[in-house]
Amino acid sequence: MKKLALLVAVIALVAFAAAPSARAADTIKIGAAFALSGSIAVYGEGFKKCIDLAVEEINAKGGIKGKKIEIVYEDNKSNPKDCVTAVRKLITVDKVPVIFGPAGSSNFMATAPVAQENKVVLISAQGAAVGLTKAGDYIFRVFPSDTLQGPHLAKLAMSKGYKKVPVMYVNNDWGLGLKNAFVDAYKKMGGTVTDIIAYDEKKTDYRTELLRASKGNPPAIVNLTYINEGAVQFKQAFEMGIKTQWLCGSAARAPKMVELAGKAAEGVIGTYPSVPQNTKAYQAFKEAYKKKYGDDKIPIFGDYNYDMVYVTARAIEKGGYTADGIRKALPQAAKGYKGVTGDKTFDNERSPKFAEYGIWVVKDGKIEDYKK
Amino acid sequence: MDLLLHLAIVIAIYAIFALSLNVEVGYTGLFNFGHVAFFAIGAYTSALLTLAGFPFTIGLLAGLVLAGLCGYLLSIPALKLQGDYFGIATLGFGEILRMVVNNEVWLTKGPMGLPGIPRPDLFGVVFDTLPAYLALSGGFALVTFAILAFVVLSPFGRALKAVRDDETAAEILGKNAFRFKIKSFVIGSVFAGLAGVLWAHYTTFIGPGDFTLTETILVLLIVVMGGKGTFLGPVVGAVALIFFQESVRFLRLPPEWTRLLGPLQQMVFGLLLVVLMVFRPEGIIREKGGRRGD
Amino acid sequence: MDSISYYLQTVLNGILAGCIYALFAMGLTLIYGVLNFVNFAHGELIMWGAYFLFLFMGEPFGLPLYAAILPALALTGCLGLAMDYSVFRPIRRANRLTLLIAAMGLSVFLRNAAQFFWGAEVRTYGLEVTAGMRFFGLTITAPQLAIIAVTLLCVAAVYLLFFKSRLGKSMRALSDNLDLARISGIDTKRAILAAWVISAVLAAVGGILLALDTNLSPEMGVINLIKAFAATLIGGVGNLWGALLGGMLIGLAENLGVLFISPGYKDAVAFVIMVIILLARPYVIIGERSD
Repeated sequence: MKKLALLVAVIALVAFAAAPSARAADTIKIGAAFALSGSIAVYGEGFKKCIDLAVEEINAKGGIKGKKIEIVYEDNKSNPKDCVTAVRKLITVDKVPVIFGPAGSSNFMATAPVAQENKVVLISAQGAAVGLTKAGDYIFRVFPSDTLQGPHLAKLAMSKGYKKVPVMYVNNDWGLGLKNAFVDAYKKMGGTVTDIIAYDEKKTDYRTELLRASKGNPPAIVNLTYINEGAVQFKQAFEMGIKTQWLCGSAARAPKMVELAGKAAEGVIGTYPSVPQNTKAYQAFKEAYKKKYGDDKIPIFGDYNYDMVYVTARAIEKGGYTADGIRKALPQAAKGYKGVTGDKTFDNERSPKFAEYGIWVVKDGKIEDYKK
Repeated sequence: MDLLLHLAIVIAIYAIFALSLNVEVGYTGLFNFGHVAFFAIGAYTSALLTLAGFPFTIGLLAGLVLAGLCGYLLSIPALKLQGDYFGIATLGFGEILRMVVNNEVWLTKGPMGLPGIPRPDLFGVVFDTLPAYLALSGGFALVTFAILAFVVLSPFGRALKAVRDDETAAEILGKNAFRFKIKSFVIGSVFAGLAGVLWAHYTTFIGPGDFTLTETILVLLIVVMGGKGTFLGPVVGAVALIFFQESVRFLRLPPEWTRLLGPLQQMVFGLLLVVLMVFRPEGIIREKGGRRGD
Repeated sequence: MDSISYYLQTVLNGILAGCIYALFAMGLTLIYGVLNFVNFAHGELIMWGAYFLFLFMGEPFGLPLYAAILPALALTGCLGLAMDYSVFRPIRRANRLTLLIAAMGLSVFLRNAAQFFWGAEVRTYGLEVTAGMRFFGLTITAPQLAIIAVTLLCVAAVYLLFFKSRLGKSMRALSDNLDLARISGIDTKRAILAAWVISAVLAAVGGILLALDTNLSPEMGVINLIKAFAATLIGGVGNLWGALLGGMLIGLAENLGVLFISPGYKDAVAFVIMVIILLARPYVIIGERSD
C-alpha cells in the first residue's frame, strides 16, 4: 500500500512538473472557464466554437497590437464547485487578467467573488440572472439582465388572454430571478399566479411537478426551464396527456431542446432577447461560421460570445493587457459598439443597457419567431 | 508552488476530518456513514454567520457547537442500532440533511450555494493568502491531532477500544458502553464541524453538492486505507489520497480527456476500497494488537 | 386535470413506482437473506441493466428493444456473478462491515465506470414519444402498462422458483442458516450462484422499466438502492413477499406524500421511513440469523 501511494505521488509530481507555468511573452492569453464536460457541455462546446471563430478573425487581422490572442480553456464540469476551481486555476496558475465566465447564472455567480477578490475581470456572455454582476466592478456581462425579460413574458401571457397561470421554474439563480421579475410584472398587469413550483435541475423525472402544475387544467403554464430539463418535461407532459400552452423564457430556446423533445415541444412559446438577424453584421457572422464549421446553426448564445471576444479585444487595445486596464477600458470599448447582437453599451451595473425582446415558437420541429 | 500550498491546505483539512471519523470508526467501532453531515453543518453554520456579518470566531464556535449538538441528538436514537444498521441509518441522516440544505432555499440558498464566504479574520489578521491559510489550517490540524491523540491514548480511549472489541465484556467491567459511544460520537462530530468550517472559508463557495456520498466515501477510504484505530493512520491516508485527487486536477490535459478524469479517479477510489477490504482491511498502518477484518 | 383525476393519478403513480421498488427490493432481500449482507452495489446492477439495454440498442448492435432485452439481462446476470466471484466470495466470512464497505467501493467503481463510458448526461432509449392512453380519467403510457405486467410476471416467476422448485428450496435453506445448509449436503454453491443471477436479473428488469419510464443516468442506482433497502426492512430480511409489500408501500407513500410536502423532499420520504423503522424496531436485529 505504501508503495502504491509512492508510485502515485511520483506520477503526479512528474505530471504537474510537465505543466507549463509562465506565459509566453508574445501572446495575449484570455481565460475561459466553460462547461466542456458534464450536463451542460452542450453550451460550452457551442461557445468555444464561436469564440474560436472570433479569435481567428482578430488574429488574422494582426491580433491586438501585433500580438495574437490565445484562449486558455478550462473545463468546469458543469457544476459550481468545479467552476470555482477552474477560475481559481486560471487566476493562480495561468495568471490571466480577464476570464470568460461559465454558463449558468448560479455557476457564474459562484465564481464572481473569486474574480473580484483577486482583481481579475470576469465576463459573462449568457448570464441572465438578476444581480449577476453585483459581486463587484470587475464583473461584466454582455447579455441582458432578466429584469428586462420578466415584463416581456408577462406581457406575452396577458396579451394572449392568460390571466391566471401557475409558474414552474428551475431552482437556481437564473430561474429564481426570472420568476421574480415575471411575477412582479404580471401582478402589476392584473394577472394572478395560481401556484409556484420550484424544481431541481438534472432530474430524469418531473412528473410530480407536472402533475401539480396541471391541476385544474390551466390553459397556460409558465415554465422557466433549460434545454435538457425542458425536453424531459415537455415529453413527460405529453405522455401524461397534459394539454396546455407552455410559456418559457430564453434558456430553452435551442434546436437541441426540440431535438430531444420531439413532437412534444410543438407549440411551445417563449420570450428571448432578440437579435435582428437580417443585419449585415449578423449575416457576415453566419457566413463565417458556416465557412469554418460547415453548418449555419449558430449555437445558443454563441453570437453573444462572439461579441464578447471583440469587446474584450477592443478593451485590451485601449486599456492595455492588465486587469485594471481592461476593467477601466471596457465601458468605453463597448459604448456604441454594434456587435452582431446589437449595441453593447453598458449601464451602471455593467450589464447591457439596450435589449429588445422577441417571441419564439416551436413550429414544425423548428424554432421560429412567433407571428401573432 | 501555489499547487503545493493548495495541496497542503486540503490535506490539513481532510486530516482533521479523517481523524474525527477515526475516533468513531476506528476506536469505537461505530461506522458512521453520515459523517459528512457534520462537516456540512460546520461549513454552513460558519458561512451563514460570517456572511451575515458576524466575526469568524463566532462562526467557528457556532459551527463547532452546532455540529456537536447535532451529533449528540442523532447519537441517542441511532446508537441503539448495531453494526451496519447504524451505518445505514447514519447514511440516511446524511442524505436527509443534504436534501434539507438543498430545499430550504430561504436559509441556505439551496442548490445555488453560498458564494463569497469571507476569509477568516482572527486576532486582527486576515488569512487571505495561501501561506496564511496553510498556517491557519495546519495549526488547527496540529491542535486536533494533539487533542485527539491525547484522548485516544488516555484511559478513555482504551475504554473505547474495549467497547468496540467486546461490548459485553466492557460492560461487565463496569463501563457504560452507551455513554462512551455517545461521547465518542460527539467528539467526532465536533471535529468534523471544525474541518467543515475551515473548508468553507477556504473554498469561499459551498453548495449542497459538496456534501454528498462521494465525500463520505472519500473520508472513509482515507481512514480505512490509512489504518483505522491508529492515530497516524488517518494522516497518512489523507496525505496519500488527497495528493492523488487534487494534483490530478492541475494536469494540463485536452478537454476530451478531462471529462474522463473525474470518473476515472472515482473508479480508482472504489477499486481501492474493494482491494483494501479483500486484502488488507487494517490499512497501511496496522493497529497494534488489532484483529484482522475489524 | 380535475381533482378526482389528480388524486387517482397520484395513486397510480404510486403503484407504478411501487412495482419498480418491489422488483429492486426482492433482488436485494434475496442476497441479504442468502448471504447475510447488504449488497450496496445492487443499485449499480439496476443501472447497468438499463445501460446494457442502451448498449445493445445503439451502435454497433442496433437491435430493436425486444431483441436487446435478453442480452442485457444476461450480461447483468454475469455482472452479478462477477461481483460475487471477485469481491464477495473472498471475504464471505468477514465482518459484516467489511462486506458493506467493499460493496460501497464496488458501487462507486461501477457507477463511475458507467459515467466513464456514457457520460454524466441523461440518456434516453430514443423511443418516440407517444401520448398515454386514457382510462376513466387516468393517463397511462405503454411503458407504464409494461411495468405492471412485467412486475406481475416476475412475481409469479419468483413464486414458482422459490416455492415449487428444488433450487428454491436450497435457497430458502441457505437463507435460514448458511452453515447448517452446508452441512446438510445442500449444494450451496449452486444456490448462491442462482441467488446472484436472480437478484441481478430482477435488478436489470427493474432498471430497464425505470429507464423506459424516466430515462437513464449513472446516478439512477443510488437513490433506488436506499428505497429498496427501506422496502426490505419493512418486509423483513430475506422475505420476498415482504419486499414486494414494502416496495409498494414506499411507492405509494412517496407519491401520496408530495400532496402535502414539497416535491423536492420526495426522495426523503423513503429515507425517513427507513430511519423510523430502524429506530422503532431495533429488534429486527435480534430476529436475525444466528451466523
